[in-house]
This record gives sequence, C-alpha cells and structure tokens, in this order.
Amino acid sequence: MEKFEPVIVAFCCNYCAYTAADMAGSKRLCYPPNIKIIRVPCSGKVDAIHIIKALEKGADGVLVAGCLEGDCHFKNGNIEASKKVTYIKNLLDEIGIGGERVEMVLMSAGMGERFAQTAIDITKKIRVLGPNPAKSFTPDKASNDL
Amino acid sequence: MQGQNTFKNNNTVLVIGGGIGGIRAAMDLAESKRDVVLIEKSISSGGLMTQLDRTFPTNNCDLCTLSPNLSESGRNLHIELLAMTQVAECEGEAGNFKIKLITEPRYIDLEKCTACGECYNLFPECVSFSPGLDHRAPTCMRYPQAIPHAYSIDINKCSNIDELVKVCKAGAILPEDTQKYREIEAGSIVLAPGAEVIDVDNLDSLGHAFYPDVITSLEYERILSASGPTQGKLIRPSDGKRPEKIAWIQCAGSRSIQEGAVSYCSNACCMFALKEAMVTKERFQDTIETSIFYMDMRTFGKDYESYLNRAKNDYNVRLIRSRPHTVLKDPETESLSLMYTQDSSNSNITENFDMVVLSAGFKVSDNARELAVKLGVDLNEHNFAKTDNFNPVATSKPGIYVCGTFESPKDIPETMVQASAAAFCASKDISIIPDSSEIIENLPPERDVSQEPVKIGVFICDCGLNIGGLINANELADYAGTLPDVKISKMIGHGCSSESMGNIRKIISEKKLNRVVIGGCSPRTHEIKFQDTLRKAGINKYLVEMANIRDQDTWVHFDQPGGATSKARDLIRMAVASVALSHPLKDKVFSINKDVLVIGGGVSGMNTALSMADTGFKVYLVERSGELGGIANRIRKTIEGKDVQSYMKGLIKKVTKHERIEVLTNSFIVDHSGKPGLFKTGLQTAPQMFYRQIEHGVTIFATGALAHQPEAYHLGRYKNVVTQLDMDAMLEDETDKIKSFTSIVMIQCVGSRCPENENCARICCLSAIKNALRILEINPKAQIFILYRDIRTYGLYEDYYKTAREKGVIFVRYEADEPPDVQVIEKELKVTFNDPILDRKISVSTDCLCLSTGLIADEESTEDLCRIFRIPKTSDNYFLEDHTKLRPIDLPVPGFFVAGTAHAPKTIKECIAQAQAAAGRANCMLSKDTLNLGAGVASIEKELCAACLICVRSCPFDVPFINADGYSEIDPAKCHGCGICAAVCPAKAIQLKQYEDDQVMAKLTGLLEGVN
Amino acid sequence: MITAERKPMEELIECLRPYHRILLVGCNECVTVCSAGGRKEVGILSSALQMAFMKEGKTLEIREITLERQCDPEYIEELVTDISQAEAVMSMACGCGVQEIAKRFKEKPVFPAVNTSFMGASEQQGVWAERCQGCGDCVLGITGGICPVARCSKQLFNGPCGGSTTGKCEINPDIDCAWQLIWDRMKALGIEENYEKNMPPKDWRTSRGGGPRTIIREDLAK
Repeated sequence: MEKFEPVIVAFCCNYCAYTAADMAGSKRLCYPPNIKIIRVPCSGKVDAIHIIKALEKGADGVLVAGCLEGDCHFKNGNIEASKKVTYIKNLLDEIGIGGERVEMVLMSAGMGERFAQTAIDITKKIRVLGPNPAKSFTPDKASNDL
Repeated sequence: MQGQNTFKNNNTVLVIGGGIGGIRAAMDLAESKRDVVLIEKSISSGGLMTQLDRTFPTNNCDLCTLSPNLSESGRNLHIELLAMTQVAECEGEAGNFKIKLITEPRYIDLEKCTACGECYNLFPECVSFSPGLDHRAPTCMRYPQAIPHAYSIDINKCSNIDELVKVCKAGAILPEDTQKYREIEAGSIVLAPGAEVIDVDNLDSLGHAFYPDVITSLEYERILSASGPTQGKLIRPSDGKRPEKIAWIQCAGSRSIQEGAVSYCSNACCMFALKEAMVTKERFQDTIETSIFYMDMRTFGKDYESYLNRAKNDYNVRLIRSRPHTVLKDPETESLSLMYTQDSSNSNITENFDMVVLSAGFKVSDNARELAVKLGVDLNEHNFAKTDNFNPVATSKPGIYVCGTFESPKDIPETMVQASAAAFCASKDISIIPDSSEIIENLPPERDVSQEPVKIGVFICDCGLNIGGLINANELADYAGTLPDVKISKMIGHGCSSESMGNIRKIISEKKLNRVVIGGCSPRTHEIKFQDTLRKAGINKYLVEMANIRDQDTWVHFDQPGGATSKARDLIRMAVASVALSHPLKDKVFSINKDVLVIGGGVSGMNTALSMADTGFKVYLVERSGELGGIANRIRKTIEGKDVQSYMKGLIKKVTKHERIEVLTNSFIVDHSGKPGLFKTGLQTAPQMFYRQIEHGVTIFATGALAHQPEAYHLGRYKNVVTQLDMDAMLEDETDKIKSFTSIVMIQCVGSRCPENENCARICCLSAIKNALRILEINPKAQIFILYRDIRTYGLYEDYYKTAREKGVIFVRYEADEPPDVQVIEKELKVTFNDPILDRKISVSTDCLCLSTGLIADEESTEDLCRIFRIPKTSDNYFLEDHTKLRPIDLPVPGFFVAGTAHAPKTIKECIAQAQAAAGRANCMLSKDTLNLGAGVASIEKELCAACLICVRSCPFDVPFINADGYSEIDPAKCHGCGICAAVCPAKAIQLKQYEDDQVMAKLTGLLEGVN
Repeated sequence: MITAERKPMEELIECLRPYHRILLVGCNECVTVCSAGGRKEVGILSSALQMAFMKEGKTLEIREITLERQCDPEYIEELVTDISQAEAVMSMACGCGVQEIAKRFKEKPVFPAVNTSFMGASEQQGVWAERCQGCGDCVLGITGGICPVARCSKQLFNGPCGGSTTGKCEINPDIDCAWQLIWDRMKALGIEENYEKNMPPKDWRTSRGGGPRTIIREDLAK
C-alpha cells in the first residue's frame, strides 16, 4: 500500500471547538490536513449514528469536540456527547474495528493550540493504527485524486 | 427625579467604557433602537473580565460566555465602537451634549485590516493584537472575537516602518496616522469606565514589588488561564516549579488605613479568592494546599454562601481568620513566610508558603476621575460617582448615568443590572430612531424553489492571498464545476467585498441558481453576510453553505500546498453535497403584544411598572395583598438616613395615578399560557374571586421576599425581643423607649446561614449597623453589642461599620456551632456569649434583644408561580435567572424578567436599580414589533414519535412535552436549537433544522465518496 | 413496557455469516422506548454489522426498516416486498416480534438481535427495572402496590426472608428488599394489618404453570 493518509472527521461544536479551530487559523498553527470539520451547533447534537456511519463510509477516525466541562452553551451537551462516544467506542471494540479510532475532546473557544495539538495527535495515532479495517482495499481516492 | 422629562433632541447615547458594563449598556440601547457611540480607551473592548480564567459561582470559562456578547456588540448596526478613544471635552446639558472625542492613532485602517496576522508574524515587537497576543504580556489574545477584529501598531517600537507597511497585502498599515479629534452630539451619556486594580506595589509589607512569587489575584488568573502566559500551567514565577502550598491574603489594599490602601471593601475579592482556590483544588486535589487569610468572609451574594460551604467542605479550602501583616522570605527554604495569630492561640504562628496571592481590590483610576471632572459629575469621598438611594444610576448631572465599578466596587451581576438600568434611563432621555423597516421592503420577493431541480452555484473566494496565495482558486473552482448539480462555479476575488457580493447576487438571479456554496472564510463570521446576499438575490437565505477553506485550511496547512488543495476539494465537496439537500426555512417571526404584566406591587414592582408606563407601555400591576408597597412600607430610613416613607408615598401616588398603569390588588395568578410576546395570564380578584384574563408580551416578577420571623430567641413571645425591622420603626415612633435603654444586644444571622436557610440575607449587617448608629444618636449612652459571624458591610458600606466601631458599638464574633444563649430570668433578658479574644463566656443583661433576621424567600408564592409559568427556581426558592453572572435579570425563558428581592435579598437602592434594569430588558424586547427566533429549531415528525420521553428528559431547557395527542411537541419559540433531542431520539423522529441528519450524512458521503 | 438489550455483536455476526443480503427490522414500540431496537438502533447496528463484515473482506447488504409494531400481523405485512429481496431477517423487536415474522414468512430464516429481558419501568433516563412477571393473578392490591413476585428475589409471599438486611436483598445488596418496600408502603397507607394476614400458597396455574396462555375477549374476537 502507498503511504497511508487517514481521513478523520471532526464534529466540532459551533461555540467552542469550531471557534478554536478558527482560532488555530488566525494564529497560523500548522496541523495535518487529514482532519475535516463538520460544524454542529452543540456536540450534544452529534448522533451515535453519525459517528458510526462516518466509519462505515470509510473514515479512519472520528473526533467529537465540544466545550470544556461546565462551559457548554447548552448546559450539558458536551457531557451527552461524551457518553455517546463511549457507547460507540465499546461497540467498535466489540466488532474489532477498535474504539480508539473515536475520540472526544473538550476545549474552549480560545484554545487554538489545543485544537491544533489534538489534530496532530489524533492524526499520528490513526496513522499508527492504520487504515480503517472496514474499508475495502482500494486506495484512498478521496484525498489523493489530484 | 431625573429621567422623567424626555428631551428628544438627539437620539444618540454616548457610552464611555467598553468593558462588560459598557457593552451591556450599548447592546440594550441598540436593541431598543437608539444609536450608540461606544468609546473605549484601550485597543479593543472587553475590559477586565476578559482576563479572568473562570468566574464564580458557576466556575464557567468567561471566554465562552462573554464572546457571544462581544461579537453581538461589534456586529450591531446601531453601535459605533471607537477604540483607543477618550473624551477631551464635554459641553451642554441633558438632551444636548456636545462632546469632543480624541482617538489615538492605531496606524491601521480598520476597513482594510483582515486580521490576517502577517504583520504580527514578522514584526511581533511593534504589533499588538487585542488584548495582547504576546505571551510575554500580562494578557494575551484570548478570544478570536476581539472587537474591533484588527491589529494595532506601536509605532515607537518599530524600527523599519517601510518594511512593515510592505508586509500588509491589504495595504492597511498607515504610518502617517495621527491623533484624531471628532465632535459628536449626544442626548445622554452612560459612564462605564470601570475601575483599576489597587496597586499593591505601594504596600511594601506585602512584598509584591520584590518577591516574584507574591502575585495579585489577576496575575494568578492569568497563570491559571489556558491561554495565559504559562498556557494554564500552574508554576511559580521565580523558578517555574509547581507550588504545593498557596496562601491568599484578603483585603490587600482594601479595608485598611495604610498609605496606598483604601478604607472601603472591594466587594468581589472574597469570592474571587474562593474561586481561585477551588479551581486550583479542582485541578490538583490533595496534592496542593490552598489557604485563605481573611478578616470577614463576605459571601453575601445570591447563592454565594453555598459556594463558600462547598469550598470549605467539598474542596478542603483552608480558611484562616487572620490578617498577616507582612510577607517575608524564609532565608533557608526560599519560600514565603507569613506570621499570623489565631483565636485559639496566644502566640504568633509562622507558616511558609510557595506562593502568595494578594486579593487586590478596586479603585477609581486617575483617568476616570479626570473624566468625571470633564463631565461635571460629582464624586464621593472615595472618588466613585455620587448617586442617590432612590435613583441609583443617575449621577449628580442630569442626563449622565453610571454603571459598574465606577459607581462603587462590585461584582459582575450587579454591574450588569446597573448597565441595563443606566441604558434604560439614558434611552428615556432621547427619542427612538425611525424604524429601518424600509430596507426590508426593498427586498425582492422570495422565489419558490421547491419545484426546481437543484442548481448549485459555487463561489470560491481567494481572500486576497489568504487563500489564493497557497492554493489555486481558479483550479478549485473548475474542480467544483465538475461536482453533481453544480451549474456554475467561479472564482471571485475578496468575496466579502460589496462588489463581489453584488456579483454573486447578479449571477444567482441570472442563472436562476437555487443553492449556493461559498468557499472562503468561517461561517461563524461571514454566514450572516452571505445569507443576506442570497435573500437580496431573491432566494431563501438558508440555501447557502460555507466551506471554510481559509481559517481551517490555507491558514493552517501553509506548509503543504498539496494537502491544502486536496482538503479544499474535500470541503467543497462536502458543502455541495449538503447544500443540495437544504431547503428553504422560515424564520419564526410573529408580531408581539406590547402590554406588560408586573407581578408584585412592592418597591421593585412599582418602579418597574412606572418605568414601563412612562416609556409608553400599558402595564398591569398585580398585587396579592390589599395595598401597594410591600416590605418597604415598613422600612423608615435607609442606612444613608434617607426617608423611605415619604419616597414610598410619592411612588404609590404616581403609580396609582398613572393613566397607563392598571393596579389590581387582592389578585392572584391562576393560569398562564402562550409564548414570549403573546402571553395570556388568568387571575382572580378577591373577595368575589372574579376571573379575568390578561394578554401581554412580557412578564416581570417582582414578588419580593418575606421579612423572616424564625422561631428563635423568644422572638414573638417576649416584647423586648424584636427584629431589626421592628427596631427601625421603634426608632421613629418610640424614641422615649429608646432613650430608656441602657444595653441593647443585636444578634446577626438569625435564621440565615444555617442548615434550614443556607444563604446569607445580605442586608442584615447593614440594618444592624444602621439601627445601632440611630440608637446612639437618640441615646448616646446606650451600650450596644452586635454579636456577629462575619460583618458583611460590602463595598462603600464599610464606612458605616467603621463609624459604628468608632462610636463605641461593641462587635463580638460568635461561631455557628456556639451561638449566643438567651435566658429570660424574671422578665430580664440575659444574653451569654463567648468572647473569642478573652476566650471566656460573657453575660450581658439587656433591655432589648434585636435580632437580624433579614429576608427569606416566599416559598409558597415562588413555588406556585414557577409551576404556573413553568420557570425554574433555586433550591432556596428564589427565581433562577438565565445566567448568574451575565444575565441576572432575564429568566431562562424569553419574555420573563425578575426584579428586586424575588431574585435574592437586596437593599432598596439595589431593588430600584434592578427594577429599572428589568424595565430596560423588557423595553428591549418590546421595541421590536416582531420577534425573530431564527430557523434553527428542532421539529418532530409525529408519525415517527414513540412518545418515549427521552427528548423530554434530555432537553437542557425542558422544552419538549408529550401533548394531548400522545406525541412529543417542541415549541419553536422556546427551543434553543442545541439539537440534543435530535441526537438522542431512539425513533429518529426529531430533526434540527439547518443541521438535519440527511445533510450531515451527505457531508460524510461527500467527503468519503470513492473511499469505499 | 417490555425491555430488551442488544445481543453481543459476536453472536449476531456469527448467525449472519452465511448471508449476503439481510433485512434488519426495528420496532417503534417498547424496544424504541428502551433504546434497544428503534430506528436509531437499527441504523447503528446496520453500520456495525456491515463494518464487521467489510473487515473480513465481505459485503453484507442490509436493508433497514422500522415497523410501527412487530407484534401485529397487519404491520408485519408491510415487510412483504422488502423481505423477498433478503436472504434472512434480523429483528430488533422483542421475542413476540421475532415470532410474528417467523410465522408470516415461513421460508425465511429470522434471527433475534436483542435479548428480551423483562417487563419493567424506567427508573430514570437510561435505567430500567423489572416490575412485573405476568403471573396472571395480581396481588398488588394487597401488597401495597409492590409486587413480591417480580421484585422479591425469592418470590416470597409472606414477609421477608432472613437474608433481608437494612432494607437490601441478600442476593444482591443493590436490590431493595421487596418486603421492606411493602412494609414501608403498608405503614404509609395505615394498612399494617395486611402484613399480619397469612397469604395462602400461590396458585401458579394462572402463570406459566398452566402452559402458554391466551386471552380471548369474546366481545372483540371474530
């Protein structure tokens, strides 16, 4: 196989994580382009189905990013989200895909550094884990069809 | 009284100070359709609060709560924000001020600066980005929403100006920029210049100037802050080690007669020290020891006492009642040593700490003092703006109002209350801007796209070189053109310029596009602009999707153009896939009823009613008893000596005579329905219990609290055992009796700060001292004992505590577990208590035992109202506001507001301020003819609903309910749009508009197509 | 409501191994309410199964459908077209639903995706507890509204056993002793005398003792 470039889907809440990602931008903090963000109003809006469908459709990792504990704009959406992430992690372990492909992180809107670092860390981690085993053996077209 | 006449000469309000108070005032004014000029002397708005790590009592991160406020004020069309600007001169009078403003040079053209940061990257030494991006600076850029969103240049530090100018591709750097003068006219002025932190360097015994590990609370906040100079790592400035033992010293520079200190209490320091200690404990648990040295623990605010108990009991924060006089460096261990005494010991204790935090309070800055002189506003002896008991935010000069720490030292909620009150008073002086509805009328009709096949237009912005510098925007546009349903794809330079927007609009109409994708910057900052473009082009504004190829692509992947290009394609593909499934959404808009329901006819309710009625609204004032006035009818004097009864007489007269106020006494609320702006409330009036329904747009709760009458110390059984309220009357009506007393004992905290009623009643220390001073005036020989736990004469009230001590009132402290004992022996009252200094029991015979029982929530009434109106209350039965810090007047459900002691115990002055503030908040809502609730709300497909209750139980705002038809229903007017219900629904019956599941799935498919 | 829990994935994967096209059927009643087999769980399980097979290099085509109720033949009829495309059916309903599908489509193998557990009530969001065993002879009126059949580990009818300590059951200290609850409730109702009454041995014929049961409402039955 050619050099493996993982595709990582990041569900980011509008109030904190998505803003932190923008913040990483205004600070010009470099991180790998493997991470693609989907904006949600609150991390609590992320459905367990969305996480698992992302993997089923071929993503190699999923990140759910919400506000710091106690800071959720909608009181406890981030807590709800992390419970769902744990549920899906267990299910993935059960079917041998590996729960470690899904991660929940918390950050405040100002934490551009944390967003960039998270992106670096998770990309590194997924690289080590290798391609999503559920993906069929065709090479990753989405990112390399230049 | 000020504010009664409307001058109507000029419709602009000048707000001075861009801190949290100034922002709130400006936003309230703008919302009620007044033009605002908001000036701030530093380079961007935000003030002191943006430097805090987290705020008590919720321990929230401020950034998350504050930034929406800031961006709201920056975006608002009625607000002109002038940073780096101060008042040079002011002439004229209420209704017609002429103010000369002076703006310091920023050397940046705000119109052109895109905050790209290129200048900062290359010349960090001469560029500042608000509030300071530099980690070396005491603050750093904490929030990307800094307003104005632009850099500023320190030209003196710049060695090569020509190079710097060249760096800016937007040509925004203006080396020739100069000080600018400008004259404006304003009808009224709101003063919110804030305060500065007391300079503890002047207090040399505390060592801040020479020991690096002695820091102020604000410096400690910065160290704790994740985006502070240490990136949230708790380390000692001297050696970079993590401290294991930290001491806080309270009243550093406050409540002191030392030179360089102030004599008043700074109000907020006890709480912020507790917060800092708790946050520290939260992070390091038992591996760190936190000790607070204090004189009196002043946790008098709403729920603050339970916060103190949490700190003590759950977090093991050590509280030591002692004021260490000196901080020394232990020569052997290099740590800081404090010497202090304790009640229980008769010698000095020396203890070493790794770090000492000085809880430094507030004082008025020289700058603010000069400002007051320029404006002709009187200051009091502590240099705070002078205000009146019954007109709490009006300064000595008509037309000029004050809020926040320039009025007296205070915490954020009180600042917010005063800000709304000051904005309201200022708005009454001027006229409303004629409605801008003609702009709306010019919009073309919305084209019905439901039957059209999907026709997507993709517009790629190169954002100057921000995007185009790294990836080929033309090629990206070509690529987008190959995607399904894309009819046209174009590169446009600077997509957000009005020229490009015009172009996009033209193309949409010409090509009959019905979906649009913008590849450019962040939807967070620009979605509204592009939505506007779509609407102007005659299609629904929700048919646009933005692909963030700048902030989240080219800006962060500039090291790999290939990767950035490929990611840009991914993001465009996702946006195209998702926008194809978007459909027109309607903002929930409805016209609102402008009548006002005020519940409670006490001093707060009457003030709210009067304020609203004076503004032109019809007010229903409902009072359950037979007469207006509430508890204030029983209060004779304020601590300042003002006559409450003559004020009340005047107030009641004005209210009952007002043509727009309908007073309904003996009336009880029995039912309620409707939604914000369109409420219906039913009430019954005694004695016949006639039923009547009132239609109204807003509801203000001013139901007050009760004078507490606990069963303690023979209260109610023995005539010489009285409450402070009884004493207040006695002092006016029975002076002979007062003269006959030789000894009076007052006991504080009777029925509060105890298991049955955890919180502090706030006003009792003030009433005890007020009454003690009045007793001494009538009977100077009387011996007065005040038995207390902590004296909580917060803020400038400290003066009265000082006077009382000087006049010989004896203050003796008691502990909660050893309360004073009162015996009645042959009709003689004998009080026995422990004197902590002598460490022995003392018995005093007294002629009068006066109990400070304070206020207690009206449990029955709050519970009934909360049930009828479906609003939340606190565990101790006060109304629960939307946000303890930032929204103390608004209840969580729109259209409901709270004023006065129904919110928490407070003084008459504070009640009036909150009443005006509640009127102001209500006025903001009612200044609009319609209410737009946006489109991002959850909706239920009833056929799929299994009525399982999961949404009902999961909603953080208790909006969904199972209706009479047996399925879940969500009132869009109440939905906050978080989508939690949609994510938990096991039947997938709920969709959150704008973020529907098929759109999320389409994004996934769009991204991952070809992977499988 | 009838409560259920999803079976271990391994078991589900094993029974579907011979097939390439299956129909995954959810139910919008009890199993939706207890989050075991509603539309959402169908979606999640479908993804998980497909991934599990893809991992082995095999594709499993899954069609998802959620019926209003799987225990009524009329709703089962809605499967007619979809089922013809599938080699096998996996039902996320309780045992009743699985059997209704098996009865209607005799030629199709049908597999349960959940273990049907008990008749229970939700104690709070996400927590369900057993309340009823359908014994066919309800004694709740005598026992203060707390069932000794479903909630006493030993199904005792005359007071607690010797293993009841501080209100908890000896089988599992997390379980409340049903007889403690019954006693507390009787006291609250002022009917302590009921406790003194000796209850005769229970006639289990109304329960499973008499074999599978049928209810016939003559006025409704056709």
